[in-house]
Amino acid sequence: MTVAQGVFYLIAALAVTGGLGVVLMRSAVHAALFLILAMLAVAGLYILLASEFLALVQVLIYGGAVTVLLIFALMLTRASDLPETMVGSQWPLAAVVSSLLGGLLIAAVATSNWPGDVGETTLVPFEVLGDALFRRWAVPFEIASLVLLVALVGAIVLSHQDEGE
Amino acid sequence: MEAVTQQIPLEHFLVLSAILFSLGVYGVLTRRNAVLILMSIELMLNAASVNMVAFAAYTSPEQFIGIIFAIFIITIAAAEAGLALAIILRIFRYRKTANVDEIDELKW
Amino acid sequence: MGMSEAWLLPLLPAGAFVVLTLFGPYLPRKGDWLAIAAIFTTFALTFPIIADLTSAIAEHGPEFGGVTNSIEWMSVPGYLTLNLGVHVDAITVVMLVVVSFVALMVQVYSLGYMKGDSRYGWYYAVISLFVASMLALVLADNFLVLYFAWELVGLCSYLLIGHYSHLRSAAEAAKKAFITTRLGDVGLLIAIILLWRETGTFSIQGVIEAAQAGQIRTEVLTASVFLIFMGAMGKSAQFPFHVWLPDAMEGPTPVSALIHAATMVVAGVYLVTRTLPLFELVAGAQELILAVGLLTTFLSASMGLVMTDIKRVIAYSTLNSLGLMFVALGLGSPAAAMLYLFAHAFFKALLFLGAGSVIHATERQDVSQLGGLWSKMPLTGATFAIGALAMAGLPFLAGFWAKDEILVVATENRAVFALLLLTLPVTAMYMARLFILTFLGEAKEPEAIEHAHDGPPTMSVPLVLLAVLSVVAGFVVFDQVGRAMGFPGGIGEIIFLHEPEVFRFDVAVAIGSTLLVASGLGVGWLIWKERPGLAIIAAIVLKPVHTLLVNKYYLDDLYQAVIDRVVLMASRMLAWFDRNVVNDTIVDGSAQATGFIGYLLKFQQTGRLPNYALAIVIGIVALTLVAFSLK
Repeated sequence: MTVAQGVFYLIAALAVTGGLGVVLMRSAVHAALFLILAMLAVAGLYILLASEFLALVQVLIYGGAVTVLLIFALMLTRASDLPETMVGSQWPLAAVVSSLLGGLLIAAVATSNWPGDVGETTLVPFEVLGDALFRRWAVPFEIASLVLLVALVGAIVLSHQDEGE
Repeated sequence: MEAVTQQIPLEHFLVLSAILFSLGVYGVLTRRNAVLILMSIELMLNAASVNMVAFAAYTSPEQFIGIIFAIFIITIAAAEAGLALAIILRIFRYRKTANVDEIDELKW
Repeated sequence: MGMSEAWLLPLLPAGAFVVLTLFGPYLPRKGDWLAIAAIFTTFALTFPIIADLTSAIAEHGPEFGGVTNSIEWMSVPGYLTLNLGVHVDAITVVMLVVVSFVALMVQVYSLGYMKGDSRYGWYYAVISLFVASMLALVLADNFLVLYFAWELVGLCSYLLIGHYSHLRSAAEAAKKAFITTRLGDVGLLIAIILLWRETGTFSIQGVIEAAQAGQIRTEVLTASVFLIFMGAMGKSAQFPFHVWLPDAMEGPTPVSALIHAATMVVAGVYLVTRTLPLFELVAGAQELILAVGLLTTFLSASMGLVMTDIKRVIAYSTLNSLGLMFVALGLGSPAAAMLYLFAHAFFKALLFLGAGSVIHATERQDVSQLGGLWSKMPLTGATFAIGALAMAGLPFLAGFWAKDEILVVATENRAVFALLLLTLPVTAMYMARLFILTFLGEAKEPEAIEHAHDGPPTMSVPLVLLAVLSVVAGFVVFDQVGRAMGFPGGIGEIIFLHEPEVFRFDVAVAIGSTLLVASGLGVGWLIWKERPGLAIIAAIVLKPVHTLLVNKYYLDDLYQAVIDRVVLMASRMLAWFDRNVVNDTIVDGSAQATGFIGYLLKFQQTGRLPNYALAIVIGIVALTLVAFSLK
């Protein structure tokens, strides 16, 4: 086993642990913490695949912003006060269906012919990525920023306390 | 030293992604708290991102389209999370609960 | 104003109808003056048309076929073209004069008769529409316009017969008239469609030309001709459709005059006259007309003898006259029929308006309650006598010439001739009876006639005018009369449909018929005036016959029984089927089934988000499995 393989399996184990924690933990706060673990593990995968920028973005946005947002939501909805009601009654059927889905996906992966490695994995320099993002992908980028803006305004409008409520 | 992509087959990444995705689905189906359902959805989105990046790294590393995809996925996920949390807060304010089992206005 | 502009004639009263319907209540006198002005203008405008026609005949000779002026109304290229148009020839002109003049007289008369009626304005509106429809009917150059007008005439007669709509009997009579004529109308409509399918045209002249050229298959032509005759029988109240006409007496009396003399019942005669070339092409068609005409004449003449309602007696006399017209048509002489129609219009209108005056003065219309009115109402009595004598066919009155013309035509067929001669004394008898019982003898109810007197000028002037015409109208058969009136070709050739032969007068026939009429009048005088006991004795001795006649040969009862047993039974069955099968089972049942399925299906809606999400994932898994199995 090479170093890279060892690192991969370690990261993979961490990611699966994080995922299991998210869906199985009774406490909502614990689930959120396990989500951070899974996010960081995925960031590690990105580094392994030579996408340092993506890893940074992953840590900053998911590990930081989104998770903080989720924990805030947990606090505001007092979800952590109700640990007993975490798992719904349909969990056996859900388990069967989810594992069936996972099995099917893995079977699809196993039975398909995948291209081998095409060559050296090179680090993508930040300046090249930035250049591409703001030249070739400028229009999608702007659209994405517009979507973000709309979502932001929408979130403000939705969570705004109406008069007399 | 060989590159990472030559030491680890693509399938490993794909299988990992499939496992994470299935776990997310299970979470969505079993969790009763809306915020926790949202967390599971984030897990599913991450699994999809891993797929994208892995495909890009193995098929056309110099094109880095997968990275761009992943960036957009993260963007949309952030927007989605923000909006969903706003909706959950709103519901909570009206119903005093974030429990999706108790919000069944559509029942017969 | 020539023949091409004749389309203006029906538009005047039609316009009066529209104005009266919309603004009648706001007009002074509810607009009756407008209706009368419209019909008067129409009547006046017929004279230039007559002049135009006579000069055209003088120019083109007797072969002149009339003037057609039509515009395209709508068309589906290659399939259907509908025209609006008028066709003016001798038949049309005779009808125009008759209709507009009688209508004018009736409307003037109604000024007095209908005074104070609660629906005075509506009465004038409908009567204008009635006249307009009849004018359109006789002017129509194609079957479709004719059929529209035909139906409008039926509708207006329904409205007018049922004018006193608060009386149940009036409503029933209106319904009866409408439904009975409707039976014939359906036949006419089918005939029009058949002929159109066969020839591709609605034009009356076009259809006749196609038929004469042999372009219509024999069986289609036969069917069409009999169906057309069915329409004519319904409108002209020929046996077996005659039952509605006596009941139509429920309407205001001027309306009866209009219906009987000008607008409604002569429409059938007109239709057969117009399409007579088609009848000539079909074996048996004219014989059928003849048979129906004779039967109607006999039935009505016999029933006229026993009826006691003054209007009903006149109604049966109309049936009698209509039968004669159809006999003439059946004998192939439209000229005789039109001459009779022309003369009949005047004396029949006169009789009805006279009866109206009696009813107006005494508020009674049963001859068993009347009598002795001669001294109270001399003008009415005198004019009524002229009308009755004209109807009976006394020499030199209008009815005489027309009736004798039919007899002359009938001499070629001995059986028909003999049968016609038989009806003459009967007709004379019941006209004498009617006059004697109404105006002569002792008053049976003195208080009824105590304050009776002749009507106001609006009522007496039409009576006098019509009486004069009942005397002189027959003279138009002589060319000299027409020329003296300023028509270059004389009127005779118009009345005689520009046939080369002129009026035929047979002295022997005239003397014979006059003797028969005189004997009928004499017997009537004897029975009902000199020896009143004779009538009672006759009624007792001939009791079965009397009962049969009073009950109108039980035909009405027969129809009623058929309606009760067959129609209502079928209706009840259909109603049951509709209520139970269509409504309860099919309509309600499908609704209930849908509701029940919906009730079952609603339980899938748990309203819980995780359930829906699970369903989505199960769907995805299933689709993936399918994809795998296909791989």
